[in-house]
Amino acid sequence: METLIIRCKRVVKGKGCGEALVSREPISFVGSIDKDSGVIVERGHELEGESIVGKVLVFPHGKGSTAGSYIIYSLAKRKKAPAAIINIKAEPIIITGAAMAGIPLVHKLEKNPTKVIRTGDYVIVDAYNEIVQVKKKIP
Amino acid sequence: MYLTKEEEKMLDGEMGVAAEAAMKILVALGDACEAKRLIPVSSVHISGGTYYALGDEGIEWLDGLVKGGAKCKVPTTRNPGMVDHEQWKEMGLTELLKENQGKIDNLYKRIGVIPINSCLPYLLGNIPLCGAHFAWGGSSGQVFANSVLGARGNREGGPANIAASIIGKTPEYGLHLTENRYGEILVKVEADAKKFDVTDYAILGYFVGRQVVEKIPVFTGLPKYLSLEQLRAIAYSLPVGGAVPMFHIVGVTPEAKDLNTAFGGKKPDEKITVTSEELKQTKEKLSSVGRKKPDLVCFGCPHCTYKEIKDIALMLKGKRIDSEIRLWVCTAKQIKEIMRRWGLLDIIEKAGGLVISDVCASVGAPFKFVEGVKVIATNSVKTAFYAPGTSGVDVIFAETNECINAAITGRWEG
Repeated sequence: METLIIRCKRVVKGKGCGEALVSREPISFVGSIDKDSGVIVERGHELEGESIVGKVLVFPHGKGSTAGSYIIYSLAKRKKAPAAIINIKAEPIIITGAAMAGIPLVHKLEKNPTKVIRTGDYVIVDAYNEIVQVKKKIP
Repeated sequence: MYLTKEEEKMLDGEMGVAAEAAMKILVALGDACEAKRLIPVSSVHISGGTYYALGDEGIEWLDGLVKGGAKCKVPTTRNPGMVDHEQWKEMGLTELLKENQGKIDNLYKRIGVIPINSCLPYLLGNIPLCGAHFAWGGSSGQVFANSVLGARGNREGGPANIAASIIGKTPEYGLHLTENRYGEILVKVEADAKKFDVTDYAILGYFVGRQVVEKIPVFTGLPKYLSLEQLRAIAYSLPVGGAVPMFHIVGVTPEAKDLNTAFGGKKPDEKITVTSEELKQTKEKLSSVGRKKPDLVCFGCPHCTYKEIKDIALMLKGKRIDSEIRLWVCTAKQIKEIMRRWGLLDIIEKAGGLVISDVCASVGAPFKFVEGVKVIATNSVKTAFYAPGTSGVDVIFAETNECINAAITGRWEG
């Protein structure tokens, strides 16, 4: 199995792993994700209908309403949160939510994560050592 | 990020649980955004006032802060919730929702938040002036304060706002620094803006937000004199379409006296044009359903201004809203009371409408708690964008007068 090792910058400490769920579009946690199921419900979003629970969620950055931080915190309390988050560049709503919820969050990878990581790849995010490992899914 | 000895003590928990929790958020933000230090803020406005946003977990978090000794260090206001405590029955809300929202309202009061319960801090006495540093949540107010007032603050989440209020400081990065406030993308409005009404400005903002995503747009081709409502329409809709932190309008906003100043002497990264055809298509896509009889017509996202309520009242004067349709006008308590004094509240109530205070009309709007509400009509881009996801309702997006006609006749004209 092909494995990639990519250096990154830590935002929120921790280690998390799981199947990757990759969005090239930004994600607004408010109105886009159902808090009870962890499923993306934004109409027309490229991940509409997908569950984020236990996944390594990869997306460019957050967008939309600033109430998003509480949604991230609630998802974690309900055990519906992603195992880790990878952003191209993290912005305050995601940073705050991840800091409250204790979800490992990294950004500024050497390579564009929304391009080198594919949905279904197995990803280990080690925010302590600022390393992302990607085990490519066998096609 | 550099921390003073006092700040380090707070982070280490030597000055209470609340200060420690607040410092953890500010330090994560500051480190991620490469801030060099924390700077004092003169104004805080907290987003996330609704039970929808906080949930039981958010209430627990807030309760923990109160017990940990949290107190606002600087003047702090907050966004609306989901319940008008004087009219919850008329709104068709449940006692359970009223109780849960009440817990949040009380917790905020206990940490010393001024209970304006509105997204209009800049109309209700919490006004950071040109050059002042602030920490606001609520994307519409934050974009307005940066762009129209020329004050300086980033778009941060509600908990980060609370943290800033407890510490009285925020990390210095992004829009606090002059070099990050210059325009990046030139937006040439080719559609005839002289014919725009307030809704068209909101459609423009939403369209441009989708194009520029997170960059700072500089508008040309707009009239030199824009009303409060028109400027606000651009401010609230840009971050619905993207993650736009602020905007400039050449010859209008304070940091854009000319094109060169707006771009800080640099060339735009990109130029885009906006035609009337693009705005027309954008408008059509904002409705999630064809034009059918709405169960609820909702105005007030962002909360209605004096002028907006006056316009609505004049359109409703002597009319009667269809008995099967609810009409809500959401605003701040303070504005509602002035409207009562002005006699306009009476007109709206006689027509069968409700003027509601303390309630958010988009994110966390209580639509899904009202029995029988499946389809809503609105003049707000933000309500139209968020309500299907947050409330599970269908939305018809239309001009104010079209919505009011539909509320009266139960039909859409044209």
